[in-house]
Amino acid sequence: MAGAASAALATQGGLKMKIEFLGAAKRFSARGNEIEALTPTDLSIAREEFVALVGPSGCGKSTMLNLAAGLLEPSAGTVLYDGVPVHGPNRRVGYMTQKDTLLPWRSAADNIRIALELRCRATPRAEAAERVAQMIDLVGLTGFESHFPAELSGGMRKRVAMARSLIYEPETLLLDEPFGALDAQLKLLLLDELQQLTRNRRMTVLFVTHDLGEAITLADRIVVFSARPGRVRGVHSVALPRPRDVFRIRFSEAFGRMHEALWDELKDDIVKGTDV
Amino acid sequence: MTATRRILWRIFLIVALLGFWQFVPTSRATQFWLSRPSQIAAALWRWLEDGSLWGHLGATLLVMVAGYVIGCISGIGVGFLLGLLPRLHRVVSPYLAAVYALPKIALAPLFIIMLGIGFAPKITLVAVTVFFLVLNSTVDGVRDVDRDQIQSLVLMGASRGEIIRKLLVWASMPWIFTSMRIAVRYAFTNTLLAELFAANRGLGFLIQYSSGNFDATGTYAAITVLILCSVLLTEVLSRLENQMARWKV
Amino acid sequence: MASEPPRAASASSVIWSQIGLGLALLAVWEALGRGGGGTWISRPSLVVAKLISWGGGDLWRHLGVTLAELMIGLVPGVALGVLAGLVLGRAPVVAGILRPIVVALYSVPLISLAPLFIMFFGIGMLPKIVLVAIVVFFLLFFNTFAGVERVDADLISTVRIMGANAEEQFRKVVLPAALVWIIGGFRIAIPYALIATITGELLSAQSGLGHLLNRAAEQFDTTSLYAVLLILMLLGLFLTEAAGWLERHLLRWRHRAG
Repeated sequence: MAGAASAALATQGGLKMKIEFLGAAKRFSARGNEIEALTPTDLSIAREEFVALVGPSGCGKSTMLNLAAGLLEPSAGTVLYDGVPVHGPNRRVGYMTQKDTLLPWRSAADNIRIALELRCRATPRAEAAERVAQMIDLVGLTGFESHFPAELSGGMRKRVAMARSLIYEPETLLLDEPFGALDAQLKLLLLDELQQLTRNRRMTVLFVTHDLGEAITLADRIVVFSARPGRVRGVHSVALPRPRDVFRIRFSEAFGRMHEALWDELKDDIVKGTDV
Repeated sequence: MTATRRILWRIFLIVALLGFWQFVPTSRATQFWLSRPSQIAAALWRWLEDGSLWGHLGATLLVMVAGYVIGCISGIGVGFLLGLLPRLHRVVSPYLAAVYALPKIALAPLFIIMLGIGFAPKITLVAVTVFFLVLNSTVDGVRDVDRDQIQSLVLMGASRGEIIRKLLVWASMPWIFTSMRIAVRYAFTNTLLAELFAANRGLGFLIQYSSGNFDATGTYAAITVLILCSVLLTEVLSRLENQMARWKV
Repeated sequence: MASEPPRAASASSVIWSQIGLGLALLAVWEALGRGGGGTWISRPSLVVAKLISWGGGDLWRHLGVTLAELMIGLVPGVALGVLAGLVLGRAPVVAGILRPIVVALYSVPLISLAPLFIMFFGIGMLPKIVLVAIVVFFLLFFNTFAGVERVDADLISTVRIMGANAEEQFRKVVLPAALVWIIGGFRIAIPYALIATITGELLSAQSGLGHLLNRAAEQFDTTSLYAVLLILMLLGLFLTEAAGWLERHLLRWRHRAG
C-alpha cells in the first residue's frame, strides 16, 4: 500500500528519489528476545519533499530515521540515498534530535563551527568564522555567540542545534521530534523558522513527530505508523497550499479535516494502550 | 568475550605473574628485596600456625569497630544538632572546614602524647576521622530535605518534634547511610595508619615492623593479608549495600 | 524552623559570631593552659610565639619540602593515571579482564604501604614521592576510565553524522567529555596526596612538616605540635581551595548563568 503509493509517485514525473527504503527492516535482540523495530517497509522520498512520520512510540519511525542517517544498518532490505546504498554515517544529511546534544564545553559559535573543523570538509578559519556568523544571524542568536549551552534557554539551544545541522549545507535534514520538549509558543516559532530555512535551501526533510498538528503544518506527505511491530499504516498527502502560515493554519477547515482523519487512524493504537 | 574466558585470562595473568616472580633468576641482592612467593607463603603459614596473625587481626578489628561506632554515633548526633540549628552551623562551619582540611593522621603524635601507647590513641584517631565524615553528611542530609515536604506537614498541623521524627530522620537516612558506608573504608584505612605508629599489635603494625626490620618477606606477607582483608571488606560492604538497596526503593 | 527566617541573620552578624566563637575558644584554651591542665595543653600565646620564632626560615624549609614531595609526586601520578585511563577506556576487552584485579588492588588502603616504600627507598624525599605518585595514579586512572566510559554516545553520533573520523571523535568529543572526570579526579586526589606525604614524613623523614611533628612529639613539645598542626591545617585548606578553584575555572562552562 505504501509501496504502491510511492511507486506511483516515482513514475509520475520521473523524479529521482532522494531517499528510498526498499523492504527495509530492523530487528534488535535485547536480553535474548528479538524485537522487530521495523517490519519490511517500502517508502520513497522525493527531492525537496517534506515528509512527516507520525505514530505511537515503538512504531519504528525513529528507526527509519536512523536507517536513513546510516546510524543503523538494515537487518533486511536496502536503504538508498541518491540511489546509492547507505553504509555508515551519512554525511550528506543534517540530523537533529529531541536531545540537543550540543557539546557543553563549547560556546554556541564553537558548536556551530564544529562541522567545518572536520577533515572531511576542512574549511579555512576565516571562511568558517564568516559562515558561522551568518548562521548565528540566521537563527537569531546574535549576541549569544560566546555563551555556553548551560547558559542558554531551551529554545536558544535548539536554534544552535539547527544552525549546527545546517551550516555544512546538507541537502537533507533528518529530525527526530526536535521540538518535543519546548513550550507551545516557542514550538510554533521554531516550526516557522524550520519551514523557511528548508524551503529557502530546497532541502529534503524527514521529520519524526508525535504531534499531528506539526506534521500537517509542515509536511507534503504524512506517513502514519503503527506499533508492535512497527509498520506503515498509511501515507497521506497534505494538500494544503504553500507557503503555510504556521500560526494560523490550525484554524483552517482543511487543517481540521486532515487532523480528524489522521486522528482516527491513530486512535486505534491509543485505544490499544500504546502512548502516542 | 564470555565471562568464563575472562576469568581464565585473569587466572592466567595472576599465575604467570606469580610464576615469573617465583622463578625469575635474580642476584642475591635482588632476592633480598624481592623475595619469592614460596617464602611469603611460608611466612604466612608460620603466622597462622602460631596464631599470631589472629591476634593482630583481632587488634585491628577492635580498633576499627570501636572507632567506627564512636565516630558514627557522635557524628550523627552532632550532625542532627547542627542540621536543625542552621545558624549555629553557619557560625561553626569554617572551623569544621579547617579541621576537615587537616590530614587526620597528623593528629596521631598528639593523641599518642595525650593518651599514651595502646588502643586509646588509635581508637580516638579513627573516631575523629569517622566523626567528621558522618557529621558533614548528616548535616547535608538534614538540610537537604525537600522544603515542600516540610511545608505539607506544617500545613497538616505537625509540631516541630513531629516533623523531626516523622520526616527529617527518615529523609536524611540515605545521606547518613551513604556516609556510614564510606566511613567503613576510612575507619579501615586510618586504623592501619594509626597502627603504623607506636603500636605493638595489628595489621598495620605487622607491615611497619617487618619493613622496619628490612624483612621483605614479612612485609609482603603482611601486605598479602592486607589485600585479602581489603577485598573481603569490600565484598561484605557491597553485599550489604545491595541488601539495603532492596529495602529502599 | 522549616522556613528560613528572612536574612535578618545577616552575613555580618554571622561573621561576628564566628570571630566571637574563635576568640572565646582561644580564651578558654589560654585559661586552661595557665591553670595547669597538663603538659599537653599548652597555650595559644606560646604557640604564637613559637610560630614567630620559626618564621625566620626553618618553617619555610620544611613546608617547602612537604610541598615539593607532594607536587613532584603529583606529576607522574596524574600523567600516568590519565594515560592509563584513556588507553584502557578505549580497550574494553582488556579492561574487562583487568577490572576485578584492579578493583581488588585499589581496595587496599595504599597509604598503609608507606613502610614498604620507605624500606625500598630510604629516608629521603623519594619514598614519599613514590607513595604520592601511586595514590594519585589510581585515583586519576579510575576517574579517567570512568569518564571515557561514560561519554554520552549521542554526542559521538552527532559528530559521526557530520563526518568525523575515529580520531576526531576522540579528540573533539571523548577527550573533552572525559576531562570533567579527570579534573574532578585531580581535585579529589590533592587531599589524598597531602595525607600520603604527611604519613610518609611521620614514619621516617629528616625534613618536612611531618618530620617536625615527629620531632615535637619525641620531645613532648606540644607547643610546637600545635604550631605545626595549625600550619598543616592552613596548608590543607589552601590546597583544597586551590583545587576547587581550578576545577570551577576549567569547567566554567558547566555553570548556569543567572
